[in-house]
Amino acid sequence: MPADPSMKILVVDDMVTMRRIVKNVLKQLGFSNIEEAENGQDGLQKLRAGQFNFVVSDWNMPVMTGIDMLRAIRADEKLKAIPVLMVTAEAQQSNLVEAVQAGVSNYIIKPFTAETMQEKLAKIFK
Amino acid sequence: MKKRGHRLYEELGNLARFVENAMKTISDAGPQIVSSSQQLPTASSHLSDLNKMTEEGTLEVMRLTELIQDEHSRITKELSAVVEVLQAMDCTKLVQRLGTVNSVVIQEGKYLTEIMTALSFQDLVAQRVKKLVAILDEVQSKLVELVVVFGLQQNGEKAATEGTAGHLLKQLEASKTSVMKQKVADDILAQFGFR
Repeated sequence: MPADPSMKILVVDDMVTMRRIVKNVLKQLGFSNIEEAENGQDGLQKLRAGQFNFVVSDWNMPVMTGIDMLRAIRADEKLKAIPVLMVTAEAQQSNLVEAVQAGVSNYIIKPFTAETMQEKLAKIFK
Repeated sequence: MKKRGHRLYEELGNLARFVENAMKTISDAGPQIVSSSQQLPTASSHLSDLNKMTEEGTLEVMRLTELIQDEHSRITKELSAVVEVLQAMDCTKLVQRLGTVNSVVIQEGKYLTEIMTALSFQDLVAQRVKKLVAILDEVQSKLVELVVVFGLQQNGEKAATEGTAGHLLKQLEASKTSVMKQKVADDILAQFGFR
């Protein structure tokens, strides 16, 4: 099932510049229903309050990291089916393995291109 | 027994000399340690400022890029509307030429998206700077521990601002307040007859 352009997306990153970049790329790819969160905790609260269809998250964030948020999502009955794409500078193999074990839907290493984002979205929503 | 006692005294003597030398070395380095422990917070603060500066610059480039992207969206819509009219009028050649223009606009749109994603350098820089600040904070806290434990003293008031580090920090501090605005520069130039 290809990605629905009207799906509700949550972008979680502590850096305002990164949130803006991810939002911009998603917008260029045809998605406009996008909300933002500053860290994992903020992200979880928004996910529990709203009907989101997709999460794009950073790894390194204060308060709650992306990997902890991912684990919390997968442990939550209502949220566990939401696809989570990690966009992170954590480029160690061990990070990737940890994310896969935690249930990540796909993984992008910063810096990234719009093509990479498009390719990952196509894989997640195929 | 006497031999063992003599050996023990010898060892204790060596140990005492070693401790005394170590204390003297630390004491000699004292002013520098005190000075460094005072300079590090300022250095950390300048690194954090660097993050703010790159963030501000990046956000401005993003703002301008997004403005151009919006303009491109408008151009694409306008072109599409014109093409519809021209198609109804059967102006095939003009439609073809506008198609070429549209391709250029689309390609430029891709470049603009590339500019946006290239700006993620700011996030990578900021993450590294944050780590460096954390390292500096830890080093500073260790230096303060040394100062307290060994009761190190600073030689005079000027020690913290002397040396290369002190000099560079002074320059960085000064740059915060003494950077001249173009208007001020122009006023001074005008006084020298520049028009």
